[in-house]
Amino acid sequence: MASLVLKKLGGMALTLVAMSLVIFMLVELIPGDAAQRILGQSATPEAVASLREAMGLDDPALARYARWAGGVLRGDLGESAYMRGVRIADIFWRRVGASITLAAASFLIFVPLSIVFGVLAGIRAGKLSDSIISFFGLATMALPEFVSGILLMALFSVRLKLLPIASMIPMGESLWQNLEILVLPALSVTFVMFGYVSRMQRSAMIGVMKSDYVRAAVLKGLPRRRVIFRHALKNALLPTVTVIGMNMGWLFGGLIVVETLFGYPGLGSLTLSAVKTLDLPLIEACVLFITAVYVISTTATDLLYGFLNPRIRFSGGAYE
Amino acid sequence: MNKLGYALRRNPAAAVGLVALAAWVVLALVGPSVLRFSHTAMDMESQLSAPGLNGHALGTDALGRDILSRIVYGSRSILSVALLTSLFSSVAGVALGFSAGYFGGKIDAAFMRFLDILMAIPPLVLSMVVLGALGDSSVGALTLIVSIAYTPATARVARSALLSCKSLEYVDAARLRGESHAYIMFVEILPNAIGPILVEVTARFAYSIMMIASLGFLGVGLQPPTPDWGMMVIENKTVIREAPWAVLYPSLAIASLVIAVSLISDFLAKALIHDE
Repeated sequence: MASLVLKKLGGMALTLVAMSLVIFMLVELIPGDAAQRILGQSATPEAVASLREAMGLDDPALARYARWAGGVLRGDLGESAYMRGVRIADIFWRRVGASITLAAASFLIFVPLSIVFGVLAGIRAGKLSDSIISFFGLATMALPEFVSGILLMALFSVRLKLLPIASMIPMGESLWQNLEILVLPALSVTFVMFGYVSRMQRSAMIGVMKSDYVRAAVLKGLPRRRVIFRHALKNALLPTVTVIGMNMGWLFGGLIVVETLFGYPGLGSLTLSAVKTLDLPLIEACVLFITAVYVISTTATDLLYGFLNPRIRFSGGAYE
Repeated sequence: MNKLGYALRRNPAAAVGLVALAAWVVLALVGPSVLRFSHTAMDMESQLSAPGLNGHALGTDALGRDILSRIVYGSRSILSVALLTSLFSSVAGVALGFSAGYFGGKIDAAFMRFLDILMAIPPLVLSMVVLGALGDSSVGALTLIVSIAYTPATARVARSALLSCKSLEYVDAARLRGESHAYIMFVEILPNAIGPILVEVTARFAYSIMMIASLGFLGVGLQPPTPDWGMMVIENKTVIREAPWAVLYPSLAIASLVIAVSLISDFLAKALIHDE
């Protein structure tokens, strides 16, 4: 088990390094001169040249990558190219914190909801309640986040006037004083995730209910409720754990749309404004963080899966 | 085909999806010629007029443009771009995934590793960054970038579809006959692995619609004057209180189209993969 964990963690570290290279190269490919962009079209060639010099833009790409990656490892994300003089690390982590809060709020809503309805649909497969839950899951999964968000906004903010239309935090206040702004963005995320997770939970439940050991338990005369909760559910949760973990990175990508819709001050809206202002160091920081969340959550899911599944835990890690 | 027809009769949801998709296609093809208003004309007399007023069946937006015309014109761009991206990414995915899976060994291992890395950047983030950085969201650029962003996922599906029938006897027979690798991959194996690939193409079509609408919403999708459903939503979000129809109708258009395609792809998955 320990060697398996080390192997997975090593693979994760390698992927992260490769990731950072891909992101760096991607940003390198962006046409135009970064120094020119900062100074504007009216800048003199001398001014551009001296800024290039100061920013080290004339160094070979590998040297610049090494400097950037070294900075990231020390927690230094560089200086914003658009907001002159602003250290990215100073604004970045507050935004990340806001996004994590939003992700956690969504998580608290969609995980129990989708597991309960997925199990329900699974044990009533083929019946009307299953069809309704399954169709609802398919429909919500098919909606882009901003469409479900707009529908929620039109209902709860415009018509019922229950919740704020924009999720801004007033000056001088913290997120914790304004928790109601989390509700609609979190529900928009829930809409999409509910589809994925409940469908996975449903098919896992159907699979387990057909398995020999569950049928044996039923034939033994155990009450159905006991069979479902004591015997079937535990195994049917495994694939769901995987699909939730695998979707964590996706969730952070989806936050871009949700945060833009509601004006929520998180990492997603920061990423979009970095793209709109062509703030290259900020783009690099945001994309690196989003992909790191994906890589780390995928590895963590992998390990958790191994830990939860005794066949893997005791076989010394020979699974694929 | 008979089997599909039979399955369709047993799955009314898929039939509804098929009808809805057909309706959108017809609307996109013939709609513009029967519309009363142009999709770009600004009617300064009737800005934000409610549905049904002044002849605007679905109302107008803040600039006085007819919502119905914009939705109908928008269906052309979103349907064609989404269709192209789903086809391109599937063709590229089949070419790459088939080659990797067919030749196996080190090529395959390196390829899978590379895909793992690419898949860590969510397609939406990748497309958004590249399109935003290029500053070019023409139909061509949008199609190309989204297709590239989706290729790792389609390649994975194609690869596993190939692996499921690579070691069968007819493949060995073709190899003994001395057929070329390309012949074996695309003439012998492809028709047998077509089920999961077809399902992937339709699912990809649904994803592409979501992606293009989302990119339009983020302001890095198709640019004006091409009307884009996602762009219509963000443009009119500020007037959601005064004119909810200006955001609701484009949203419902996206919803109906994606749900229709998803129902079809769900049906195909049941009919072509799980039954066999």
